[in-house]
Amino acid sequence: MSLLKSFNNFPALNTANILLVENEEQFQQSLANALVEAADAIVNVRLAKSLPVPTKNEESRPRIDLVVFIINLTSELSFESTEASLKYLDCGYFLGKVCFMLTNARNASIPPERLDAVRKLASLLHCPLLFAEDQTPDGVTNAAERLLTILKVAAGHVPMTTALYMSILTQCTVLPDIDQPSFD
Amino acid sequence: MAEVNPGGQAAAAGLSEAAQAELLDVCQDQFALLEEVHNEIMLREPESCENPQELAQNQLIATETELKQWLTMEPNLLIENAEILLQAGKAEMLKLCSELELVVSCYEAKRDKLKETKELERKWLEEKTQVLLAVSDHIERLQKEKEKLSEHSLLQDMKAKMAKMKFYHERLMECLGDILGNHVPLPQDDLSSNKRKKSSEVELNEDLISLAEILEELMNKMLNTPHDPYVLINERFWPPYVEMLLRYGIAVRHQDNNFKIRLETFV
Repeated sequence: MSLLKSFNNFPALNTANILLVENEEQFQQSLANALVEAADAIVNVRLAKSLPVPTKNEESRPRIDLVVFIINLTSELSFESTEASLKYLDCGYFLGKVCFMLTNARNASIPPERLDAVRKLASLLHCPLLFAEDQTPDGVTNAAERLLTILKVAAGHVPMTTALYMSILTQCTVLPDIDQPSFD
Repeated sequence: MAEVNPGGQAAAAGLSEAAQAELLDVCQDQFALLEEVHNEIMLREPESCENPQELAQNQLIATETELKQWLTMEPNLLIENAEILLQAGKAEMLKLCSELELVVSCYEAKRDKLKETKELERKWLEEKTQVLLAVSDHIERLQKEKEKLSEHSLLQDMKAKMAKMKFYHERLMECLGDILGNHVPLPQDDLSSNKRKKSSEVELNEDLISLAEILEELMNKMLNTPHDPYVLINERFWPPYVEMLLRYGIAVRHQDNNFKIRLETFV
């Protein structure tokens, strides 16, 4: 088992590295393109189907500043794979360097329990929860811009702010009435 | 924790060589510090944190440390060189200006939208005021009319209406009488013209009454004794007429007694 460590390598100048983890590998590629297009500094995007990452290119791997788990709400497998992957992250990441991105949340056919489960997971790990529209180009650009804002802070490009400080403000919190039965 | 020095980004054109060199020196110092800290962190054993409670504790500790750092930190000048400071300040100012311009345009859009809404609301208010005026006008007129009306005029009105009603009633009755007289003749007349065929029935027709009389009897019974409107069918009623009245729903048979009929209650 190889943990993905938050301080495995020295940071490079003006460079931010982001890791997109998605089991389905549908949204990853378009989001990566949008991220590179929208960035004003150098952004390296790395893709993974799930964690742990392979050990063989451990040496060449740069320091990952932000890990994004993309969860497709229409598939149960996506959520389960994310849950399994979370074990292979160094706990230093949970200080503001992990975030969840949900797709297909507007789909009416998804069971509401799944969204609640993701919410609970995110609030348990003190991570921000973002919603993205992966079908339209505008939605992808939007999602990329939001991720870049977090990435800049996580990579230390914004003076006077740290990832931990921001995560305290943006982390997902479970509403107190989430355990009560819904009436719809 | 060491951060990448933001002063490094300002090393743009427009700086003298001496200033650039100074800036690079500062950056190198910072990077050396960063490496030192980084090595220290890497030498530490990675802690396992399976359990979310430990995670929360970790976060609390980290946050507290960061807070302490902020509290103890002394604000110091980025660099002594005035030239670099000027450049950095300029860049910052330009950035701030462009951001503020964005804010301005956003607020202008918001203001325009609010103006539109206001205009709509104003129109709506105008319409409602007009409606209110019209309604209060109407109320006033009605009140005036009410004052004008006296008991005497009411009585006169009622009398006129009653006279009109009576006239109408008489005309209706006349009409009915005419129709019945013209189109529903007495059975005797009918039979007398066809004596040859129905001579056997002649003896029955002595007491027969006309349809008009049947109807009259039914109506009188209905009006005089509303609790018992039924009329007994006797030999004076010509059976085809009775049958016709029943067929066309003008009269109804008694529920228990087949020989009694009453006028249908026309409402």
